[in-house]
Amino acid sequence: MSQLSDSSSSVSREQIVEAYLKVFQLIDDRVTPLLGKVTTRVLVQGAASRVLDRYPFLHFLVKMPYTEVVPSVLDEQLRGVTTKELAAGLDMLLQECFAGLRELTGNLIVPPLHDEVTRQLEQLSS
Amino acid sequence: MQSESETVESAYHSSKNGDRLAAIRREMEYLNTIGKRFVAAIDRFQVHRALLAALQELYSFTACSILLKGEPFELSIIPRYPLNPPFIEQMLNRIARAARVIGFPNLTAEELAVAADLDAPDELSPAHSQALMIGTEVRDCLNIPLTVENRIIGMLSLFDERPETFATEQLQLTTMIADYAAVALENVRLREREMALWQQAELERRRLELIISSMAEGLLITNAKGAITAHSLNRSAQHLFVQAQVDLELTQETLLQQLAEISNASWLQELAQIVDQALAGKTVINHELIVGVSGENVPLTLSVSAAPLYDAGQMQTQPIGVVAVLNDITSTKQIEKLKDDFISVVSHELRTPLTSIKGYTQHLIRRIERRLREKRRVQQESGIPSGELAESYDLRSLNIVQGQAEHLERLVSDLLDLSRVQWGQLDLHYSTFYLADLLTECVRLAQASAEQHVISLDIQVKDSRIEADSQRISQVIGNILGNAVKYSPNGGQVIVRLAERQGDYLVSIIDHGIGVSPEYLDHIFERFYRVRNTASRPYSGIGLGLYVAKAIIERHGGNIWLARNNGPGSTFSFTLPHKPRTGPLNS
Repeated sequence: MSQLSDSSSSVSREQIVEAYLKVFQLIDDRVTPLLGKVTTRVLVQGAASRVLDRYPFLHFLVKMPYTEVVPSVLDEQLRGVTTKELAAGLDMLLQECFAGLRELTGNLIVPPLHDEVTRQLEQLSS
Repeated sequence: MQSESETVESAYHSSKNGDRLAAIRREMEYLNTIGKRFVAAIDRFQVHRALLAALQELYSFTACSILLKGEPFELSIIPRYPLNPPFIEQMLNRIARAARVIGFPNLTAEELAVAADLDAPDELSPAHSQALMIGTEVRDCLNIPLTVENRIIGMLSLFDERPETFATEQLQLTTMIADYAAVALENVRLREREMALWQQAELERRRLELIISSMAEGLLITNAKGAITAHSLNRSAQHLFVQAQVDLELTQETLLQQLAEISNASWLQELAQIVDQALAGKTVINHELIVGVSGENVPLTLSVSAAPLYDAGQMQTQPIGVVAVLNDITSTKQIEKLKDDFISVVSHELRTPLTSIKGYTQHLIRRIERRLREKRRVQQESGIPSGELAESYDLRSLNIVQGQAEHLERLVSDLLDLSRVQWGQLDLHYSTFYLADLLTECVRLAQASAEQHVISLDIQVKDSRIEADSQRISQVIGNILGNAVKYSPNGGQVIVRLAERQGDYLVSIIDHGIGVSPEYLDHIFERFYRVRNTASRPYSGIGLGLYVAKAIIERHGGNIWLARNNGPGSTFSFTLPHKPRTGPLNS
């Protein structure tokens, strides 16, 4: 699932931010009804803390619920981060979210959601 | 009219809606049933039982576990039938990994193994034969965080030895069950904490009760109005009341004031006043109360300390009562009385030989002075060169004896005065005189024996007529002047000033000596008190002069105090009313 990070040179920074915000909204839509709001939030925060060593610019996601993240917040928090680095960081965050979700629920949620997310990112990168 | 196809379609939708409604009804009934089980659970084992019962209706699984956050964390494994060790090992690994995902501190499978508690409710775990312990591998696993009010308190994990046991369709319901379990477990935890706190409070209460009942001091606790009941006193306090012949058969709350009237005990009125002060927010420390009959040699005497009692949740508002500690100090008073009696007797016994020593010394001095004058006259008349005569040596020796005898007499007088002050028998004999004249005389006497010092007088009043005990006032001034000279070892000026302040005479004695450290200022008038910052050089005295001086001034209705000068030295001041405010005692 690295369509955007692979093609980041041809995709604008705004497009990347918008794409991942939509992806996280999709995850929220699919996971929250099944596991609850708190679990979904902690899942993303946990994923952010695990990628922090490699992508420290994502630290704000450890403290802030992703549902409160809007483009203006991202713009402010990610100032100075290159488009490529941003795409790679958000992609890794997404993968960690899936890994965490798989640890919790095995294959009950991840496979269909993964497909849905991949399709959405493909649409955006095409 | 509906066509046939429309009728079929309508029937189909109606049937489908009916099925959905039936399913929702079943689900609600199910949730209602399990909800009741969780609500009824009063300990964690009952919660486990309710959880297992609820989950069994959804899945057929091998075991479940509950991991709870906390210091230390808790892990309960609830198997449905005996588990193989490899299966448990895999369970622990899965729990550890999933726990990390939801922000548990880094837990290892080993740590979980140590903390794990196996809980298999009997009726839900029918005795399985060893043959059923076949599962060695976890083939399916589901972890649902346990959340209460937007925080994760733990994790519910389900395990099965068969694959694909858990289904997406049941996930939402499983989360609901987990939510029920989370709330039930949190309630159990709160109940356990409440119980622990209650037990701790009960233990503290019993400990306090034991301390209060066994303490030698009497303890009295009033309510916000200053009233007591028979239970407001500990055993020692009850004993003291019995000693004081106060009937404590109180059927209802009684004000101390009322109790005083009923019992005709004046000391209770004084105690009521102390309680009133404490109710006003003041802390009273070591107030002496004479409880016994004053005719007794040493009456029953209490030292009372009282403090306001505030509600723990509403500090610094109105007190909800008063705690008073009653300490029986009669035995201390008896010892003090014995000591004072001893001092009084010894002082009297010393005074008689001292008077003789002084008298005979005086007599010898006069004789030798006469003889010396005679010899000098003879020498002058006969023209014999005058040399040092043996009588001169004798005279010096006798003068020393007389000086020391006078010093000893002053000490004995101080001791006698101490005894008089202690028992309120300080006699004052008032007469009318001029304070300025008295000060002049005192200065003259002090100056005669203070060659290194210049003692000056500063009279700032026109008329210094006063009615007082001139001898005692003279004693006070002499004592303070003696101190001023003694503690100015390098000489210097001492000023004795007489002024007027608020209708009273104000006498100030200002020296430029070594002064007194501020921490001693409050104690300098206590009996036998010696200032320690003068230890670099020993100064004679027994620490009674100022104690007696204070008693004399206060008996006249005046005040005495010591202040540090801006420069070196200190200033003793006292006020005296033109006429005594208190009548002479025993005079």
